[in-house]
Amino acid sequence: MGERTVPARPKARAEGVVVRELPDEMLVYDLDTHRAVCLNSTAAAVWRLCDGRRSAEDIRRALEKSAGGAIPEELVWLALEQLGKDKLLDARVPRPAALAGISRRELIRRVGLAAAVALPAVASIVAPTPAQAASCLPTGSACTDGAQCCSTVCNSNACV
Amino acid sequence: MRKLDRSGWAAGLTFRSYGVRFGVRTGDAAVLERLAEFLPPGTTAAPAGIVERLYSIRTGAGGVVERRGLRRFNLLYADHVRIARTVDLEELFERFESDLQLFVAEAARRRVFVHAGVVGWKGRAVLVPGRSFSGKTTLTAELVKAGATYYSDEFAVLDPKGRVHPYAKRLAVRGEGFRQQRVSVEEFGGSAAKKPLPVGLVVVSEFREGARWRPQILSMGQGSLALLANTVPARLRPLEVLETLERVVRGATVIQGARGEAAEAAQSILERAS
Repeated sequence: MGERTVPARPKARAEGVVVRELPDEMLVYDLDTHRAVCLNSTAAAVWRLCDGRRSAEDIRRALEKSAGGAIPEELVWLALEQLGKDKLLDARVPRPAALAGISRRELIRRVGLAAAVALPAVASIVAPTPAQAASCLPTGSACTDGAQCCSTVCNSNACV
Repeated sequence: MRKLDRSGWAAGLTFRSYGVRFGVRTGDAAVLERLAEFLPPGTTAAPAGIVERLYSIRTGAGGVVERRGLRRFNLLYADHVRIARTVDLEELFERFESDLQLFVAEAARRRVFVHAGVVGWKGRAVLVPGRSFSGKTTLTAELVKAGATYYSDEFAVLDPKGRVHPYAKRLAVRGEGFRQQRVSVEEFGGSAAKKPLPVGLVVVSEFREGARWRPQILSMGQGSLALLANTVPARLRPLEVLETLERVVRGATVIQGARGEAAEAAQSILERAS
């Protein structure tokens, strides 16, 4: 008898994140890493569907129903991998055997123009510390990091 | 701190800026007379009392001699931490201004400080976010020369409704090396703003020699990230910051692109903001 594989059921992180909904996008701020992530409409839709009960196939079917058109499974896996990489899921989900070893570029190529929705896109930055965000320090000032100095050089704790 | 406290201090004053109380004490009363030009715009005197930060200034003239026959240093402390030690008193004042600005920007009540140049144009604000060396002061100055009203070359001060308030300090134009020259907006033929404005345009750009100004429109989410990257209290109050930035991007167009000479870009920016 063959071994049964239980499909992964991805779950969106609920702890330690601040979420802001925008028209067609979502901003998620990770309070642990201070990384801010912008999900486009597709990535946001996938993330919302990650409730820990739905499999990737369930997510695909739900997207298809709301989009009113074909959604290839590769598109869902592209989104899940990116969400996992950005630590927006409780755990990263491994690909099914049928897609194992396929490059991200190949996955995108397979999605092609057939999907009824845009490719999932995720942009992110790490929020600056106050010192990083503000003006630089003039020469002679005490410093701990070159990024603080107008000259960008911090030598022996002084901007040079 | 106790050692610092035990030193004799000739004079001191307490101030409030954007809800933040800070004090300055010095052994040389003449220093206090110079302070006004280095305080954040809108700072007011406050009754003596508990402060959130205390600056202590010891000038060389006050007799801080480290070794016999050597130079007398001016010293600046922020609370108990020495943040400047220099024979050049102007450098000490610049350091004081820089540290105080950052502290107020972090700690301000009901305001979110974004490092940006800001001008007013036809009833809406134009924000140019960016850190040092992104050219925002140069671009801000050109926008003012082209007829925009000056709000700031340092900070966009945003209220909870997403409106930007004036922070009209003298423009810090870079001269030789990294020393800054302070120039009043009147010297550029412009005028400083007095009232808050909603944001109409956010311009994310940096100078690149020979670049043609062909900006692309960013989405609201991408615009939020661009502003967040220059927001001083981003890590300290993320929820408040994101709510405020969201109000900005919901009402504004956000564009991004490399620009060449500031004068040319300024004209194009004001046309788009019209």
